[in-house]
Amino acid sequence: MNLPAQLSYAVGYGLVGKAALWRQRRKDERAILARMRQPSGQLLAPPLLSSARMKELMSRHYLQARYATGVRKVAWVTSGAPVEILQALGFLLIYPENHAALCGARRKAVDMCVEAEHAGYSRDLCSYARTDIGTVISGKAPITRIPKPDLLLCCTNICQTVLYWYRVLAHHFKVPLIVIDTPFLFEEAQAHQIDFVKQQLEEAIPVAEQVAGRTLSFPTLKDVVHAGKRASELWLEVLNRAQHRPAPITAFDGFTNMGPIVDLRGEPETIRFYETLLAEVDRRIETGVGAVANERMRVLWDNLPIWYRMGWLSGLLAQRGVSIVASDYTYAWGELAPMMDPDRPIESAARVYLHPILNRSTGNKLHSMRRMAKDFQCDGVILHSDRSCKPYSLGQIAQRDWLANEVGVPAFLLEADHSDSRAFSEEQAGNRLEAFIELMEARG
Amino acid sequence: MQIPTRTDAIAIARQRGDRIAGVLPIHYPRALLRAHGVQPIEIWAPPRQDPTAGNAQFQAYACAIVRHGAALLLDGPGRDVDLILVPHTCDALQGLGSVLLDFIKPRQPVLTLYHPRGRRQADRLFLERELRRLGDRLQAVTGRQPGDAELHAAIDTEEAANERLARLCLRQSPAALSDRERYTLVRSREYLPAETFITLVDARLPERQEEAGRPAHDGARRPVRLMLGGIVPEPMSVFDAINGMGAAVVADDLACGSRRLYKRTRGPDPYARLADSLMSGPPDPTLGSPIAERAEYLTTRMRESGARGLLVYDVKFCEPELFDLPQLRDRLSAERLPMLHVEFETATTIAQQTLNRIEAFVEMLQ
Ligand code: SF4
Ligand code: SF4
Repeated sequence: MNLPAQLSYAVGYGLVGKAALWRQRRKDERAILARMRQPSGQLLAPPLLSSARMKELMSRHYLQARYATGVRKVAWVTSGAPVEILQALGFLLIYPENHAALCGARRKAVDMCVEAEHAGYSRDLCSYARTDIGTVISGKAPITRIPKPDLLLCCTNICQTVLYWYRVLAHHFKVPLIVIDTPFLFEEAQAHQIDFVKQQLEEAIPVAEQVAGRTLSFPTLKDVVHAGKRASELWLEVLNRAQHRPAPITAFDGFTNMGPIVDLRGEPETIRFYETLLAEVDRRIETGVGAVANERMRVLWDNLPIWYRMGWLSGLLAQRGVSIVASDYTYAWGELAPMMDPDRPIESAARVYLHPILNRSTGNKLHSMRRMAKDFQCDGVILHSDRSCKPYSLGQIAQRDWLANEVGVPAFLLEADHSDSRAFSEEQAGNRLEAFIELMEARG
Repeated sequence: MQIPTRTDAIAIARQRGDRIAGVLPIHYPRALLRAHGVQPIEIWAPPRQDPTAGNAQFQAYACAIVRHGAALLLDGPGRDVDLILVPHTCDALQGLGSVLLDFIKPRQPVLTLYHPRGRRQADRLFLERELRRLGDRLQAVTGRQPGDAELHAAIDTEEAANERLARLCLRQSPAALSDRERYTLVRSREYLPAETFITLVDARLPERQEEAGRPAHDGARRPVRLMLGGIVPEPMSVFDAINGMGAAVVADDLACGSRRLYKRTRGPDPYARLADSLMSGPPDPTLGSPIAERAEYLTTRMRESGARGLLVYDVKFCEPELFDLPQLRDRLSAERLPMLHVEFETATTIAQQTLNRIEAFVEMLQ
């Protein structure tokens, strides 16, 4: 540990930063409350009061990261990585995907993608990866300064892309890379697949311990798994509340509020945050507040959000009384909660991390969509055909056809990209959405 | 001896009473299939295949191997294969395998294989168990259960063929065979039985052949020596184009070529041998090889072969290939080994712009 870094951490984060963020949250809450008091007539309900708390939590995390170098060991991890071991070892976790999503939402991603492209990274690569690599090689801080990693943890349960991406990072930073390879489940998980993941987790522990400079405490690991499980359960409860009519929240609220479950699961504060959010959503249900004022149609969203056009999209849909009530993407961070077992942290992690929706077959994804469309009483499904996310998108043509022809739910492919706005045409998307809404209307 | 075509190979295999497997790229245990009486016929984005049926299933941003491969299986000669094997090479082939299994459900059984992305002991153990699983599936499909002796014999034959492949890929003298002849021979490994491949290579390129054979490159100037990288060189006329520019391919880092130079294995357990073999190839981005390891390997191969530059000739939208390129370029240029990256959408002709870029690269190396 170095003293100046610790001092700067204590002052910049502990003393000044946290207090400033707390004040900002109070300000944000007052603004939201003022909007709530305004006469109704808006197309969309005011933002959730909890979103101010969420913003504070995430900002605090990034602020802590900014001062972390020399104070805490930092690990960069993929969004589906088995992070509990690292959390129990005290690592500060950075999720480059989350940072890239933030860049996308704040329209900073294209600049970072261009930086990567100038360095030779193809425009056909995942735009999260390009955003991150562009940030790393340019040394710019589009949102905030991200500390360099001491360790990289990459799990292939969302895609193989992350493996190539993290090899680039490992080569650049010259730090250890732990790969947890999770065989894709074309069918049900088999014993040798679970054993393989378990063995890799076990072998990851000494590597992580060495970087952390301390030994893993299993009671701490158990607590972390317990907290992660509880937060995931709460997250799922929050999302499931949208089964109510009118839906108190939309998938856009889900996209906005998923930061803590991705980045901070396993933290006690995350549990408190989702308890508060759940209570607020319940209050909306009790008072009959719908996220879309005049909810006429309900839609399921497949795939990542279009981060840079969320406002436009939610406004356009709300105008026509369409509420996107659920998304299989946000659901992914909740549905595995029942598999987590704090008493068997490694073994249960091997199962949990093999089973995210992206590590399962296209037929399984259709099954999930079908179930969600039924549970959330959806009139249609929008499948975001995401140009630079192949694992999520390949298979959508068959899924769309099946939903439309076999299940009888109108479904359509919306061409875009999760972070690269250059792959999106607002006019074309708007026209196609209008046509889709008309189709749903015609079906009554 | 003429190189038999895929159609010939299928007819001969059928006469032998073998089943035919349509196999997608890249790595899989040929010997295991052969021991079950199955002749693998690989499917690598055949340029003459009309991709319409594949385009109906996959978005335009899926690579040509997936779109053309799907079309070949759904609407081309691939309809007649007896089984389909989809190795999990990348996210794109994952999509193809899964859509075949869950939606298209062709009349043939669809088998999959997950190749682990590392070379740790855990990877090796997993691969062995994964191969046993594949063996069980093959047994269910074919009704054959080869004993250890049969498996060892099949492995020995494939390893002998691998040595011939190494002879073709590693000892490249521009004089012995033209580039197109050599790579037509290399690529015949995609569908010929090992025995036929061995006979062909031995006839065309005997082990002790002197370097001074038929001059493939006439003219006063010595050709610029290139290493060719990428997944698959389609259309094959790319070799003629390269030669026409005054260059020759003296080494490769092709997924359908040198990246499948597996080593000889030993041991009493055939499945352990199969796993050892599949893990013994050169660095490969689809298998998670670290970039430094790839750079080291490429530098060594270029030095050994006298290649002056690396031409990476890639299928468009191939993520495993694309990610490594900038850092590879940096490492190679530090060694004064220039690299050019071009992409192609599978077609029967090569875009003029691509040819111009290759020509400029060759001129720069002269
Ligand atoms: S390819 Fe898709 S799943 Fe993979 S990192 Fe990019 S957005 Fe995420
Ligand atoms: S060309 Fe690349 S993306 Fe396409 S199947 Fe081959 S390895 Fe996968």
